[in-house]
Amino acid sequence: MKNYLDLIPLYAKAHRKQNRMSVFCIFLSVLLVTTIFGMADMYIQSQLLKTKQEDGNWHIMLNNISDAEAELIAARPEVNVLSCYGTLNYQLDMGYQIAGKDVVICGSDEAFLEEIYADSISEGSFPQTKQEVLVSDNVKRDLGLNIGSQIAIRDGRGTEYPYTISGFANDLPMILSKDIYGVFMNTAAFRAFYPDVVDGNPDDYDSCFMVQFHNHRTIRQTINDIKVQFQLSDEQVGEQAMLLGLLGQSDEGNQFMMMIYTAAAVLSSLVLLAGIFMIAGSLNSTIAGRTQFFGMLRCVGATPWQIMRLVHREALSLCTFAIPASILTGMIVIWVLCAVLRALSPFYFATMPAFAVSLPSITAGIVIGILTVLLASRAPAKKASKASPLAAVTGNANHLTPVRRAASMTFCKVDTALGIHHAVTNPRNLLLVSASFALSIILFLSFSTTIDFMRHALKALHPWSPDISIMCEDAASTCTVDRSLRTALENHPAVKHVYGRMFAYNLPTVANGKENKAVLISYDAQQFQWAKKYLLNGSLKEVQTLTGTGLIVSAPQYDSYTEIQTGDTVKLTVNGQTTEITIAGMVSECPFNTADGDIILCSEDTFCQLTGMEDYTIIDIQLTRQAADSDIDAIRALAGAEYIFSDQRMHKQSVLGANYSFKLFIYGFLFLIAIVTVCNIINCVAMSVEARMKQYGGLRAIGMSDGQLAKMIVAETVSYAAVGGISGTVLGLFLNKKLYEFLVTYRWNDPWQLPAGELCLILVTVAVSVVLAIYNPVRKIRKMSIVETTTMAI
Amino acid sequence: MEILQVNNLCKTYGKGETQVNALKNVSFSLEKGTFCAVVGASGSGKSTLLNCIGALDTPTSGEIRIDGHNLFTLKEKERTIFRRRNIGFIFQSFQLVAELTVEQNIIFPLLLDYCKPNSAAVEETLEILGLQDRRRHLPNQLSGGQQQRVAIGRALITKPKLILADEPTGNLDSHNSHEVLDLLIKASRHYQQTILMITHNNALAASADRVLRVMDGFLADLGTAGEKGVSYRDEKLS
Repeated sequence: MKNYLDLIPLYAKAHRKQNRMSVFCIFLSVLLVTTIFGMADMYIQSQLLKTKQEDGNWHIMLNNISDAEAELIAARPEVNVLSCYGTLNYQLDMGYQIAGKDVVICGSDEAFLEEIYADSISEGSFPQTKQEVLVSDNVKRDLGLNIGSQIAIRDGRGTEYPYTISGFANDLPMILSKDIYGVFMNTAAFRAFYPDVVDGNPDDYDSCFMVQFHNHRTIRQTINDIKVQFQLSDEQVGEQAMLLGLLGQSDEGNQFMMMIYTAAAVLSSLVLLAGIFMIAGSLNSTIAGRTQFFGMLRCVGATPWQIMRLVHREALSLCTFAIPASILTGMIVIWVLCAVLRALSPFYFATMPAFAVSLPSITAGIVIGILTVLLASRAPAKKASKASPLAAVTGNANHLTPVRRAASMTFCKVDTALGIHHAVTNPRNLLLVSASFALSIILFLSFSTTIDFMRHALKALHPWSPDISIMCEDAASTCTVDRSLRTALENHPAVKHVYGRMFAYNLPTVANGKENKAVLISYDAQQFQWAKKYLLNGSLKEVQTLTGTGLIVSAPQYDSYTEIQTGDTVKLTVNGQTTEITIAGMVSECPFNTADGDIILCSEDTFCQLTGMEDYTIIDIQLTRQAADSDIDAIRALAGAEYIFSDQRMHKQSVLGANYSFKLFIYGFLFLIAIVTVCNIINCVAMSVEARMKQYGGLRAIGMSDGQLAKMIVAETVSYAAVGGISGTVLGLFLNKKLYEFLVTYRWNDPWQLPAGELCLILVTVAVSVVLAIYNPVRKIRKMSIVETTTMAI
Repeated sequence: MEILQVNNLCKTYGKGETQVNALKNVSFSLEKGTFCAVVGASGSGKSTLLNCIGALDTPTSGEIRIDGHNLFTLKEKERTIFRRRNIGFIFQSFQLVAELTVEQNIIFPLLLDYCKPNSAAVEETLEILGLQDRRRHLPNQLSGGQQQRVAIGRALITKPKLILADEPTGNLDSHNSHEVLDLLIKASRHYQQTILMITHNNALAASADRVLRVMDGFLADLGTAGEKGVSYRDEKLS
């Protein structure tokens, strides 16, 4: 032993168990930070994958430049891929068709499908000649064509252009949901096919150049260099803001990545605070039991500064095990979360790395871990340095703060009264401990509003979100989907739910003396069942059973708050005849949105009575989990070719993928808050008991039984929990309401409701923590002999 | 009538090379109403003996009977209740409950038994101890002597058969020491209680009916009231 600080490992070796809680608290804090940053990193990675898959892996799009300029840019060392890309009939308004179905024609270089939309070609190869085309998979499915088959594209004038199929490309969500075909040509073929342009510039062919860079770190600089070198305006250089943002290279898109990292930083700050509370609590608890030891050190000549240094170093020495262990555990947690995401949504997360190492999370874990420990050890170190050498000699080291008021035994027995008194006698302590309880409840209730926000923001989560829709061609042909089709679909084994709606568009209305327009939509029993959740006021039953009644949709998301209220009578002009409908209720949402007028929902009977129409405008289908592609084909065949067949499974999966990653993040964080709550409470109680251990020994000596002692500790802990629980609940609910109004009510008009589930969950967590917190100290006291507790000198 | 019987009491701490035999086959008994002092050097085993008799510590072997009850055949909870009702403790460091007033501290053992204290008995105890004016005071508002008087009151309130005092005057000056001891003797005579008191103070030991000496874990009886004058004085001289 060469230095007094060498006492630290010797003491730790002799008192292995004493630091267990502190090590665990440091472990937990660093684990939380590592996991939060890891989850943020993972979220960004998943968004990066999603963006690359959906929008393509390109960074900038150059418009209105010549082929020569494009060649020069492609020759730059920073450029990985440059591909020409143009579309024809993208708005489906030019009449191009294959076998009677609208077609979007794309012209690009091979790199576009090889590098920018990687793995897009499902079979065959990119067209190499002007006579070849690559078509979307649904062409193969619908028309039974193969590689080498002939296909004809017909233009709006009826002229047919024959091509040979060189391969097939994966169906994009847009192709499936709009029920169209996609055709890819090489640039030369596209320009030759493009109507009314000969030897034009790329812009004349509605084409641009998409650029993918090598080095992601210098993208910003490279873009500026290209702009200067080729004198390009901002309008000529379009950026893929989302992708660049995720890579931290976009001025606008950076906001998203910064938002995610800022959220991680805010959450980490909260965890830092909670961690400081937790570690300080644990260290305080250890210090409280060692006052005599520090007094003894002071006796033999240690200065207060030396004691502080000893405590700081001791705390840091705990990190040597806790930090590496927590970072390793954090990495494993992140890997597990990645695996969960991959399992939940293989479509989007299949390519997520199985064993990725997140450097931001490791760095954050180490830095914040050490910072937390240093900050947390300040107060205990000061406390230890103030240990009186005299008290150590006389054995009065563990004297508690002087009591100013006697315990009241008016309403409870002595053991309970003493427990309550211990809790409330020191207002500062009561405030700190109950604030720690309250903080956890407030955090939990505040962050739980993000779940409601998520439920509203992600449309796929609506109960009525369909997998497949069969609908009329346009508004003019409304109510032409044969009603009998619904019955046929109901009998298909892959179909879980079938529900249809009839639409009457642009009906002139008069309500409360004001003229407007409305869309009248029919609901069936299943849809009324789903609408229960969105009912703001009135009665659904009345609308279902009484003809001539309807529901008004409040649709504030389109800034068109309806002026019609429940109880109003609306005059509708249908087919030139004026009729009346009574509004019997209001719902916040429905599957149809319009910025033009009101939406009125009614029963099928009412709709038929008012309009005289009986067939559907749209039939939605939800499939069973077991539904295969062959089932979709069978349903398509059942529907026939006269309607639009919209396959929305990919879009739904996309939203679900985003939903899963968001959910994992939010629920993960709430789970972590719950763990912090448990640890905080356990520490607080352990600290309080440790500080009073000698007093408890005295009480046992004069006849207090273990049961009475336990009751006393329970009363003390319950007092903290009650004060913290009540104040936390009041403040937490207040914040929950405000956040809910800000995030949900403001946009969707849904009124705030008491978050009973969340409140119960966190209160149960607090209650379980209290039980866990009491169990250990009581067991410890029971195990210790009375003599040991009265003469404790640790 | 024998109130306390200690038979072949042994207490050993540690194992192997670190083993310490704190008490070695200690046997003695005390009659009702006896005021007995236990003397001995520091570390001789006095406090261990008192802790074992008071059921605060468990002996390694041997038997302790209080009023005929074998303490260590009772279950933990029964032993605690027995101790609360039949043994009064007085400690050197008083061990008062800081959050309770003088009166509450005195009636504390009764409160632990969930009994309603007899106000006349409380008044009488307060009067004997001279604490009537201080009944609403908290322990930190009292002098050391007053605090020890409260501890005596607490030991007397259940009218226990045996009072164990571990250096009750150790933290007091000589004036307060005599005052506290006089009170203890007065009260025990009044209630016919047996007192076993550890002390380092020879003058205090001299006022006891009987003196026991503990040395290296062995117990020697230095005499009863009648013979104490000779034998204890001899002991002091030697």
